[in-house]
Amino acid sequence: MIRRLLIANRGEIALRVIRACREMGIEAIAVYSDADAQARHVRAADRAIRIGPPPARESYLDIEAVIAAARRSGADAVHPGYGFLSENAAFASACADAGIVFVGPPAQAIARMGSKIAARELMQRAGVPVVPGRTPDDQSDGGLEAAAADVGFPVLVKASAGGGGKGMRAAANPHELRDVVPAARREALAAFGDGTLYVERLIQRPRHVEIQVLADSHGNAVHLFERECSIQRRHQKIVEESPSPALTPPLRERMGTAAIAAARGAGYQNAGTIEFLLDGAGDEARFYFLEMNTRLQVEHPVTEAVTGVDLVRAQIVVAAGEPLPWCQEALSLRGHAIECRVYAEDPGNGFLPQAGRLHLYREPVGPGIRIDSGVEEGVDVPVQYDPLLAKLIASGETRTAAVARASAALRAFPVLGVRTNIPFLVNLLGQLRFREGAIDTGFVDEHLEDLLRADEIPASVIAAAAVVRAAASHARPAAAPLSAAADPWTTVARWGRQ
Amino acid sequence: MSERAFSVTHGDRTYRAAVADDGAVSVDGVRVHVARAPLEGELVVAREEMIDRVFVAVAGGSTWAFHDGRVYELAVDSEENGRRRTTHHQGSLLAPMPAAVVAVQVSAGASVKRGDVLMILEAMKMELPVRAPGDGIVKAVNCRPGDLVQAGASLLEME
Repeated sequence: MIRRLLIANRGEIALRVIRACREMGIEAIAVYSDADAQARHVRAADRAIRIGPPPARESYLDIEAVIAAARRSGADAVHPGYGFLSENAAFASACADAGIVFVGPPAQAIARMGSKIAARELMQRAGVPVVPGRTPDDQSDGGLEAAAADVGFPVLVKASAGGGGKGMRAAANPHELRDVVPAARREALAAFGDGTLYVERLIQRPRHVEIQVLADSHGNAVHLFERECSIQRRHQKIVEESPSPALTPPLRERMGTAAIAAARGAGYQNAGTIEFLLDGAGDEARFYFLEMNTRLQVEHPVTEAVTGVDLVRAQIVVAAGEPLPWCQEALSLRGHAIECRVYAEDPGNGFLPQAGRLHLYREPVGPGIRIDSGVEEGVDVPVQYDPLLAKLIASGETRTAAVARASAALRAFPVLGVRTNIPFLVNLLGQLRFREGAIDTGFVDEHLEDLLRADEIPASVIAAAAVVRAAASHARPAAAPLSAAADPWTTVARWGRQ
Repeated sequence: MSERAFSVTHGDRTYRAAVADDGAVSVDGVRVHVARAPLEGELVVAREEMIDRVFVAVAGGSTWAFHDGRVYELAVDSEENGRRRTTHHQGSLLAPMPAAVVAVQVSAGASVKRGDVLMILEAMKMELPVRAPGDGIVKAVNCRPGDLVQAGASLLEME
């Protein structure tokens, strides 16, 4: 069994893994950059090792520094969390070379699934449906038209050499295709030096539904059902839930089977997630492989809530060489769980990430409420890392109950000092279409105006603000100029005398 | 019982609040009672028997409030003899960390109000608008777009 585990990450996920270590009697080693010296995850660990200055490149992404810390602490295993080095095949290899167990899949599996093209081919060989698409050898207008007919309209024309939306155009029929192809070619050539085009079926109003899988080193593999992650913006997830309102038991069975086939095809071990695009809902829906995430995901608590398992504990157990803690028949879904990601961003200002001090930060508590967070009241939100402040996971007997619980919890989650998306989330959970489960990946963009709506200010808020001001000005005369000591400005610039 | 008057501005609307020593507050004619909860920053506002929990923090020259999932950014000024007395700011605005100056919106002599964007910095791939913490006149602008400033550098002076 693993005795000493180094967590190569920070924030809420580091804290999550450290908690699992505590419960399992494993010594937890934290690593930190100078920006995180006082962070919660550092204080929660048994030992903490500094690995560099604030920039991620010089700390959490520095393979040598992390391996050196592992060696120094005598760790026999490393958990990479999510992001940072978690899907870095070189890091997984470096751990293996250093004789340290990597809590995750083999380096080759990471590499295999890291290339979108290679992953797609692997899935097709494993019999997993992929979005119909082709890069025709004949790149003339006629050749592309034939490819589109083959793939089936409506289609999306994309640059074969790169992503990011460059060279991407939709076409509903051959006529529109003829119009958009020249522009797509030009854009692709300009962006990537290669005008080769790829033609793919366009799934309209797709839902993003992913399946959690777990495989051990003894040939066992299970799926832990789905999470629906359609509420997202610019491919950043905001709300996730399980079960998906779009799945019926037969569809769930088909997707679960496909996910296990995908994991086996990739030679996978440990926890992973297969992302699918869902076209339609219910028994007749069609699903297509999108990509495989070869790590534990941010939204894993949603699966933990509805299946009653501890995924991090299972990861560690599997990494230690033991068989899976459960067989497929032992796993089942119960109730409903929904996760809301609380970000330090201003939805009313283009979702701009926010910097500043958390002057006030009070997590709500209650039955069926779980909060995973790496921040606390009084800390400065570090600017060098992603703006996720906390994950709020609400569980209930039904979807309606879980949504109501999440909404009530958010309304009792005061965060002041930086703007957050909490008011945005409250609006979202209150949307009729969301409550009906009528969601797809275009939901946020489509309802943005409603989601940004602000309310009239109540008299009680005005009164409270005046009382606070009255109390503050008792401490000094009314006309005194502001000095840096009396009212420290921590938002952007410091007010001082020079 | 002495009462002090305050003006509370939210967006483009201003409200008047009269605060008495015993926590009784009158907001544009509506009477409520405000008490502090045990933990700093939380207040309990009672209007007849209806209770509201309001959280308040002061940061960057603004008063921020959270109530029922909504956040409000407010400018609160005391009123004396019916006239608003805004706090005038003097001194330098210092850069909190190494940053690039992306845009400068004001020049020497400009009259600014609390909340006005004075300049935009860029640090860690984020754009950070620098706002005036109070009303005043810009005495000097010490940087230009394209400048790289160190932590503690004086960006702008006000009088």
